[in-house]
Amino acid sequence: MSAVGGRDAGRKGADRPPIVVYEGVVKRFGAFTALDGVSAQVNRGEVVCLIGPSGSGKSTLLRCTNALEAIDSGRVVFDGAPLPRRESEARHVRRRMGMVFQNFELFPHMTALENVAVGRSTVLSEADGTAKVRARALLAKVGLADKADNYPSTLSGGQQQRVAIARALAMDPEVMLFDEPTSALDPETIGEVLGVMKQLADEGMTMVVVTHEMTFARRVGNWVIVFDHGRIVEQGPPAQVFDAPREVRTREFLSHLGWGGDSG
Amino acid sequence: MDIDFSPVLDNWRFLGFGLMMTIVLSVASMAAASVVGASIGIARSYGPRPLTIPLAFYVDTMRAIPVLVVLVWTFFAFPIATGITLPPFWAALVALSAHIAAYIAEIVRAGIASVRPGQARAALALGMSRAQVVRKIILPQAIVRMLPAYGSILSITIKDTAIATVIAVPELMRQSETVAAQSFRPMEVFTTTMLVFFLLLFPVTRGVDAIYRRVAHLGRS
Amino acid sequence: MKLDWSVPWQYRWMLADGVLVTVMLAVLTMAIAIPGGIAVMLLRQSGSRVLRAVGAAFVEFFRNLPLILLVYWSFYVLPIIVDIQLSPFATGLVALCLNVSAYNAETFRAGVNSIRAGQRNAGLALGMSRWQVMRKVILPQSTRRILPVLASTWVSLFKDTSLVSVIAVGDLAHNALQIRSQTFRVLEMLTVMAAIYWCLGYPQAKLVDWIHRRYGVSE
Ligand SMILES: Nc1ncnc2c1ncn2[C@@H]1O[C@H](COP(=O)(O)OP(=O)(O)OP(=O)(O)O)[C@@H](O)[C@H]1O
Ligand SMILES: [Mg+2]
Repeated sequence: MSAVGGRDAGRKGADRPPIVVYEGVVKRFGAFTALDGVSAQVNRGEVVCLIGPSGSGKSTLLRCTNALEAIDSGRVVFDGAPLPRRESEARHVRRRMGMVFQNFELFPHMTALENVAVGRSTVLSEADGTAKVRARALLAKVGLADKADNYPSTLSGGQQQRVAIARALAMDPEVMLFDEPTSALDPETIGEVLGVMKQLADEGMTMVVVTHEMTFARRVGNWVIVFDHGRIVEQGPPAQVFDAPREVRTREFLSHLGWGGDSG
Repeated sequence: MDIDFSPVLDNWRFLGFGLMMTIVLSVASMAAASVVGASIGIARSYGPRPLTIPLAFYVDTMRAIPVLVVLVWTFFAFPIATGITLPPFWAALVALSAHIAAYIAEIVRAGIASVRPGQARAALALGMSRAQVVRKIILPQAIVRMLPAYGSILSITIKDTAIATVIAVPELMRQSETVAAQSFRPMEVFTTTMLVFFLLLFPVTRGVDAIYRRVAHLGRS
Repeated sequence: MKLDWSVPWQYRWMLADGVLVTVMLAVLTMAIAIPGGIAVMLLRQSGSRVLRAVGAAFVEFFRNLPLILLVYWSFYVLPIIVDIQLSPFATGLVALCLNVSAYNAETFRAGVNSIRAGQRNAGLALGMSRWQVMRKVILPQSTRRILPVLASTWVSLFKDTSLVSVIAVGDLAHNALQIRSQTFRVLEMLTVMAAIYWCLGYPQAKLVDWIHRRYGVSE
């Protein structure tokens, strides 16, 4: 693990064993290599941001993290143990991680409350009533107590994404995985979702966030990983990656996004 | 041209019995076809290849052959081939169900395939098992999306029951033919039958549309 | 049980004749019902309320009737009303055309309506006439929606032609059933009839699937 060696001693959570470790992860789709030997780690309590151009493999890495996608070589270690290959065992790991999708993926045939409760009632076999009490509290936490009985189709994008975050939180995850949670949103509603995420980070939630919101990565992230063509180009604390990038590819990517430093 | 509806009025019980048979045959065929068709559709979506290939062949065969041919074969040829004689009503029920089931299987399969893969991912990410994902997330949405097509199948089924006249099931079409032939008043009798079928079918078509409009959002992910 | 498969072979030309009639019925019906469907669709979109109501009534009425009843009606009642004696073939053709025109009208209407209003406005904004907008903007786009449905309708039509056998049109079903009652080789004849329909219909069904995959629009 040379990439995350001694100079990361000051990295957040470095005093405890990491929660997720990627060791030379390779993922292929047919002849195409989507992840080409990715090594990195996520510490407890840390907010790790994955940035990089479209198609570079960020979502794929996220899906490999909770075994939605099986990897072709290397290892993903979660809480000290490699991810199991058997579907039935993978489920046990998945329920310890929450996932938030770009298109929300709320279940359209359930109300907001039912969406948040369904994980506890079906996966943890909790009584419906108990699961709903918990779900109500989580909806309140994301500021949607009054929308409990709304169906997803009657909610704005930002509201749907906050319900989706509450749905993931309901399983009391140890890590939250976010895949471009604000990319499908109108500019006005991006803020409300980022606000909820910031609040989670402040509470100490471990988060892996794929994002194009550089301001968020700069201010909330503790560690930034830059992706390109299935490989890690560069990783480090946000101050370094954004203000003094070492790699040309990083500079190109940031300037392409119009990133001129965190002056605003 | 003289018009005389009295044969229709005089035989209203006889025709009414036919209407009842039409409805009973429609409902029974639809129920049997739904169970068989849904099983085939789900098996084709999630089953192993050795199962999906013969099922696909069955479905495509039923789509290729006219329902009249299936009916006539079931009633006249099946007893010779197997030694089991089916009374007309049961032959019609078997033939119509076998035929309609193929269409329902196609609808179910398409409905399942139309649910975005992200929905399954989101459910798996919560830790649900494959079976839970199918039962709680995929099927409820697929069913809503299937409604309009299912509604047209219902109306096709009702129309197809009229073909059972060729094997002398005493449904509305058959009873009308009998009355028309005995009274020499085909115009009055068949025109009345047309109206009755229209009044039976039109609300069905409209009703399904109306239900779908109310629930469509539940299937839109 | 003794089976005699020589009977279908003896009557092969009668069966071939039936196939020919079946194919001709289907082709003629479609050839008439495509312009027929367009005409009915135009009725439904015309400026006059009366014409719109007539178009809608036509579509709803003929889609909500069992075809076999329409066949009987055309055979027994139509000649009384219009006072012309049609051949069984022509009678069957009339019934099929009424039925398929109604379906086609609905197919064309849905295809045209599926194109967003913005497309029409964009065409009009360029100074195109309504007819130009229809021809250059709407129809090319709606073809993708119309073609697959027309293909499905064709397959249904091909099978539905068997229903005209009840008024003694010499199509495949009628001829096969005739041979059956002359020879009493019931199992053989009915199985051969099913097999011939299968050979004709199976490739069609597969072709339709391909067209749906190629041109179909999901949602
Ligand atoms: N299921 C799949 N089958 C085949 N190729 C895939 C599949 N999933 C992803 N890919 C390919 O893998 C590459 C990486 O995809 P991925 O979705 O991880 O990119 P990304 O970095 O998340 O991009 P974006 O910012 O556009 O979301 C892409 O080229 C994509 O086409
Ligand atoms: Mg992505």
